[in-house]
Amino acid sequence: MLKTCALILPALIPSWRFFQTVEASPRVEWTLLATARETPSKWHPLRPCPETVTPLQMLARLFWNPARNDALYITSCAERIALGLCPHSVGEITTRILRDITTLPIHSCTKLMQFRLVFVAHNGTELTRETVFLSTPVATLR
Amino acid sequence: MSLELAQRFTEILLALAFLQQSAEHMSGPNAARALFLTRAVLCLALLTGVYSDWSLVALSIHSIAVLHRYNGPYNGGSDRMGLLILYCLTLSHWLPEGPLTQTAFAYLGVQVILSYFISGWVKILNPAWRSGAALRDVFAFSAYPVAENLRALAPHPRAMRTASWAVIGFEVLFPLALLNQTLLIAALACAAAFHIANACLFGLNRFVWFWLAAYPSILWLQSRLIAPA
Repeated sequence: MLKTCALILPALIPSWRFFQTVEASPRVEWTLLATARETPSKWHPLRPCPETVTPLQMLARLFWNPARNDALYITSCAERIALGLCPHSVGEITTRILRDITTLPIHSCTKLMQFRLVFVAHNGTELTRETVFLSTPVATLR
Repeated sequence: MSLELAQRFTEILLALAFLQQSAEHMSGPNAARALFLTRAVLCLALLTGVYSDWSLVALSIHSIAVLHRYNGPYNGGSDRMGLLILYCLTLSHWLPEGPLTQTAFAYLGVQVILSYFISGWVKILNPAWRSGAALRDVFAFSAYPVAENLRALAPHPRAMRTASWAVIGFEVLFPLALLNQTLLIAALACAAAFHIANACLFGLNRFVWFWLAAYPSILWLQSRLIAPA
């Protein structure tokens, strides 16, 4: 009951402080491992932005935008994890990565998946990247 | 605009916004199909206008299941606006007819005004927004631009400062539009264009439909507060 109230109240009494400050922004990256002790050699961005989107695609996305909205949800989950470990958000990101990688040709010796959250920020004149979370490796679905 | 007409417009626009959202969930790769099929059916019932009261109650109860499923709103501010509209509409239907009904619906109108004003006010207090640096950061490294080539807009300080002040100015001055109905309609048209631009550049399409759904409440509120010029 208390949790339900906590979920409903921000909708009934919204803060409306959109973009009050522009904080460091999360990127989700995943890797595949043969063993839990292996040091990851290559990290892949989860659902990276396309290089370009045409004006026609932008207009079409006003009406149909499921992939982008899911990407925004993943960003929300990453921010929730950064605020304090949130098993629900870890689960949501893990589920999506495992589902995505089932379509990839994966080397047979890679049996585990791990993801990390890298926060990108503007530090004076250049962009900096800081890893703030590393997930526990989980078995892939294959 | 009468209260009944404003409520009906809001019901139709909200049902369409929820239908659009439900269709995306049902067809997306991570669909929670059963959950959003239920919402879609309830929205179709709301669209028909038959038993609107009960459709709104059912949608309100259903919204709690959706909040629990995602441990909060799926898409932040846009989902919260959708829920605010839903709860205000439901209350305005079920509270005893008279001042209470009107207050519930007026609360939605007030929140629409605050959604612009507060958003502008917090920006105007922030030096990074006033200089354009905050908007530069949005384009430079935030997760929002829909394509990598949009990041090329970041290193244009004059354009960033001008765009920042255009947004800030519009948002903080928005409440003044309540003084005149024509001015309010023009301001709402500008606001809709602003949401469409955000949808194109940042992929925030759900904001467009939920904010549009809230506009009848502010048009009704204006007609209640200030006699037509």
